[in-house]
Amino acid sequence: MGKLALMIDLERCFGCKSCEAACKQEHRLGPGQYRNKVVWLGDASTGAPDFLTLTCQHCERPACLRACPVHPKAITKDPDTGVVEVHEALCTGCGECVMACPYSAMGYDAQGHHSVKCDLCPERREKGLDPACAEICPGFAISFGEREDLLEKAHEEDRSLRDHDHFLLKPQTIYLEKIGRANGRANGVESSGLCEKPSRPRFVESPEANGVFEEKGPAFPYLHDKKALKADRVVPGGCNFCFNCCSAKFHFQGDKLINVTGNDEDPVLNGKICPKAQFTLQLHHNEHRLEYPLKRVGRRGENKFERITWEQALDEIAAKLEVLRERWGPEALAMFVGTRTGLITQKGYVRLFSQMWGTPNLQGTDPFCAAGKVVAYEVTHGINGNGNSYTPGDIGSAGMYLYVGDNQAETRPVYFGKVNDWRIRNKTKMVVVDPRYTATASKADKWLAIRPGTDMALGLAMAHHIFSEDLHDARFCEEWVLGWERWRDFIFEKGYSPDWAEAVTGISAEDIRALAGDVARADGCVIFGSRGLNQHTNSVQTNRAFMFVAAITGNWGRRGGAYVNMTAGPPIAANAPEERRAKIRKPMVRRSPAGWLSAMREGKPYPIKGLITCNNPLAQWPGQDEARAAFQALDLIVHVELFANETSAYADYVLPAAGGIEKGELGRTNDDRRIVWIDKMIDPPGEAKPDGWIWIELGRRLGFGDVMKEEYKDPGKFWDEMCIDNDFLRGVTQKRLHSVPWRWVRFPVASEDAPEQETLYLEGTTATGQPDGKRFPTPSGRLEFWTEALEEKFSKVGLSALPEFYSEKENLLGLPYLEYEHEDDDLEVISPFSKAPTGSRAARIVQPDEENLGDALRRQGFETTLITGRPPAPHFHSWTHYFWQAQEMWPDLYCQMHPRKAGALGIEDGEKVKVETAHGAIEAMAWVNAGIREDSVYVPIGWGERQPYHPWRSVNFLTDVAQRDPCSDQTNLKSLLCRITKA
Amino acid sequence: MRRLDIGDRLLAYLVFAAAVVLVTFFAFQRELPREWHLPGSPTLYLIGVAGTVLLCVSMVFVVTKRTGAGGSPLGWFSAHVVTATLGGVLVTIHSAGFLRYAPALLLVALLVLVILGVWARVRLSKNMAATFASREESFSPPGSENRERLARLIEEKESLLSRIEPGADEGVFSPRLKHWFSRPGLTLAYARLIGRENKLLGVRSGVSPAQAYWRIVHVVLAYLFILGIVGHVVTVTFFAGYVSGGEEIYWWHLTKW
Repeated sequence: MGKLALMIDLERCFGCKSCEAACKQEHRLGPGQYRNKVVWLGDASTGAPDFLTLTCQHCERPACLRACPVHPKAITKDPDTGVVEVHEALCTGCGECVMACPYSAMGYDAQGHHSVKCDLCPERREKGLDPACAEICPGFAISFGEREDLLEKAHEEDRSLRDHDHFLLKPQTIYLEKIGRANGRANGVESSGLCEKPSRPRFVESPEANGVFEEKGPAFPYLHDKKALKADRVVPGGCNFCFNCCSAKFHFQGDKLINVTGNDEDPVLNGKICPKAQFTLQLHHNEHRLEYPLKRVGRRGENKFERITWEQALDEIAAKLEVLRERWGPEALAMFVGTRTGLITQKGYVRLFSQMWGTPNLQGTDPFCAAGKVVAYEVTHGINGNGNSYTPGDIGSAGMYLYVGDNQAETRPVYFGKVNDWRIRNKTKMVVVDPRYTATASKADKWLAIRPGTDMALGLAMAHHIFSEDLHDARFCEEWVLGWERWRDFIFEKGYSPDWAEAVTGISAEDIRALAGDVARADGCVIFGSRGLNQHTNSVQTNRAFMFVAAITGNWGRRGGAYVNMTAGPPIAANAPEERRAKIRKPMVRRSPAGWLSAMREGKPYPIKGLITCNNPLAQWPGQDEARAAFQALDLIVHVELFANETSAYADYVLPAAGGIEKGELGRTNDDRRIVWIDKMIDPPGEAKPDGWIWIELGRRLGFGDVMKEEYKDPGKFWDEMCIDNDFLRGVTQKRLHSVPWRWVRFPVASEDAPEQETLYLEGTTATGQPDGKRFPTPSGRLEFWTEALEEKFSKVGLSALPEFYSEKENLLGLPYLEYEHEDDDLEVISPFSKAPTGSRAARIVQPDEENLGDALRRQGFETTLITGRPPAPHFHSWTHYFWQAQEMWPDLYCQMHPRKAGALGIEDGEKVKVETAHGAIEAMAWVNAGIREDSVYVPIGWGERQPYHPWRSVNFLTDVAQRDPCSDQTNLKSLLCRITKA
Repeated sequence: MRRLDIGDRLLAYLVFAAAVVLVTFFAFQRELPREWHLPGSPTLYLIGVAGTVLLCVSMVFVVTKRTGAGGSPLGWFSAHVVTATLGGVLVTIHSAGFLRYAPALLLVALLVLVILGVWARVRLSKNMAATFASREESFSPPGSENRERLARLIEEKESLLSRIEPGADEGVFSPRLKHWFSRPGLTLAYARLIGRENKLLGVRSGVSPAQAYWRIVHVVLAYLFILGIVGHVVTVTFFAGYVSGGEEIYWWHLTKW
């Protein structure tokens, strides 16, 4: 056998840390113990954060081995394989090898007092498997094999090797340079020149951060005897943390979950998963889980409860709901049901309950995340979501990738791993538009650091250039787009040229022209948009501007060309029989729960007095001070959740929920139209119950038992009988889902034997559920930019169907913004963009030639733009904050700021800072890092003040309830003026 | 193979128990017969001898660790921890509280050794763990000067090694006790080359001084302690007159010089 080695590709690694999670899972390592770790190298010449998996180099001259004072050595090198191993039974823990390794690749177990290091997973190798890190890496960045073979492969792919043999130790681990570089120095990546030297936050590397885990140590199976844990069954299912929705395999020893891996049989995801999916282990073995129903005994918010039985809890809740209905009417009950609960709960059980009860006030997290793109898709294309797939023949065949406000590398890492792999293989151009030099941007050919809130201007200017230069796909426009000429004329009339956009966006006119030209000329361009476009008051119009760019360049209804704004929501809709539905008497107060606060606090436009919430609104809703005041005014709050959090503290009843494999459910919606089924595999902890069980039991007590049947507690039966009766999902039966080892089916499939479709809306095809020959599911069968019907809709909220530029009212430049003509306390405007009657607000675009809020705030020192958003890949909203390893990877709430900004304010990396907006204040740790515009700071979501390890106040104390898109009710979470000071 | 490690909690109990025994002894010493007040009395003399024998187990650990004789080095390490603690208790009792004389320095050394050992095991272990991935600069492009110096050093090492142990592979070789005994001059020269190489590798400069030097301090202090013990045994056995300062010599001795 030849010498074995890992080959790590810096071009493919985007720092998700899945390899770290896999290693700790495989070797049962605890906090602070490492055999591998992702580090940021930094590159002063470009600012690109080069991620590198640091692990043992299995040197030919291993310094660690020579330093070991024990004889025979506690460290040996296998003469055949070249693998350097620690023999833990011989190691006395003196730490000499730890110091001796100049690559700092020797780990140490501080509890067991011995060295630990990568041994290339000998037990796995014996079974013919790759080491855990290599198998799981979503970026395809880690390969394993005989060193000579790996070198040959690198040579065939014309890749340069990084020379890191400073010490003549002859390291055997191979690092492939980023493409276009020689010896770590870039010559290929261009940036806007804003970035100097990236680095991970200092506080992340602090050993003190791990102190919080020391008292009890990690839960099973970490730090348990690896050899004693052998799986006796493996069940396929899926991860339900995020919108990548990966297939996974769950490994059990008896009833105990001992491993979570990717599903290597999955033809799309190829067994790749990110760290979150692996943290499922830490969800199901977690001392912080809610296990019993609780009833409040202290003041609201005081967090004092007594344990009660399910019977008592449900009986009392039902009785209080009856009183509430009697006194205030059914619409006084609101329900906020987040994606944590699962699609079957959201679109099935709770939907049925709301129909039977008779309240219009049922909402999920969409208005905070994606409502803008949903409306934009619906008005332009007929239904929500694109029709493309993550296959080599579709997205993999694109001629260009453009990311605008979408950090896919950290939000859907497994999909990004595929895109990045295709980019490298096919030499596809990638451009990223983002105020931050994100992990996604680090892989791009070009990063354009746009001013937050001005993406619409970029889209408009790109279209201006495309039309000016006649680069548009004239045939596609003529045949498949309604109103494109009108839009073209509007853009010209308004003068939305690249020169105009340069001052607005901060991107040079030359770059805008080049980008527009590249998109138009590419043989297929996939434009990815996400929360960076969605979370604005111009959400719908910005999404439409980029949809229009995609459409006029022919990138719609083709392979390798698309506008992808996650995710494609399947039309799951359980419906009660018409005659059993309660009459809805009033419109929904507002589409966004942020618009419910006036109804809760002041009873306007009508009172909301009760809330059943299955999420964490008291960290997640904007304007936390106002949200908490509103919650104080409610008569009844029921909180159904996995972990006690800020919302639980305000609840009258806290009901412990089951999650994922404890209940049986669907995975989340995702970009790829895959419906992923997750079987119930284990019992929930304590007395926790599946969401469906809770809603059925509550429904039974309120007389809904004939519709919310006992047998529907079986989610599989409920799915087949109640959720899929439409042309999109009729074929996604339990039988079909269980017929494939990867447990997913790509919709639409109108029958059980209908084939899955790789790409929808291709020329010559008919859209699902539409009359023959109708390619797109719009009223006209064509993409709709402007129609009289659309104009009428938009005019109801004070806008035009032709996207006119405006930004946020809190901006640094004095850009146009929205002034609302209504508060949230009336129902004068009914939204033309919601399917059911829903209150809305009209607005008008104000040109900032007079005194405005931005001027006033700037005079008060609010001179920086606050951007909020998703933290890195190991975290997802609040629940990962209950997992020790996610906290180990990213412990504290941080405020990312440019070194020049920090320098001007006298703030150093790792210091505590106070961040204030006109709406509130929080504290966070300063992360001084050049990967962000100098005029902006970034604070991530997900932290809360009642979390067990590293509690911080939610960033939503800084956000504003009122700044919402009049079309979609989407909240602006991406552009608020703030002031930073030392805490 | 099962690891014979002493966990942090057990170590803390051990040291705590030792402290309790000593505090109890000195608290009630006044109540004990005269022989418990004289370090050279037969009782305390024998206790001192027993303590010294226990402390010598650490020497066995040093030898077994470097020769492979005697089984598990970790087992001997743990034995060294337990016997050094017990031995420390016994020799402290042997002192009978005479702290104003030179041998009290041995007690101070012993105390420092125990504190250093416990601190390294309990606290410094975390720093050792945190060393992982702390030197990412090693993955940046290397400079040529360092490599040239290292290449020359390796050549020198290989040349010396061919005389110390012909056929050995320099890449995995480090000198053992047998080399020190059989080829002391060459082995010393080789050790110097290792020291120079370590400097170029940044072996101790890459971590905090505490982490870099605690073990060296512990080992040097342990050798000084042993020298002190030997000195003490020699003086009380052969220079009893000098030790007594003209007072009664009541302990076992060979000469009264």
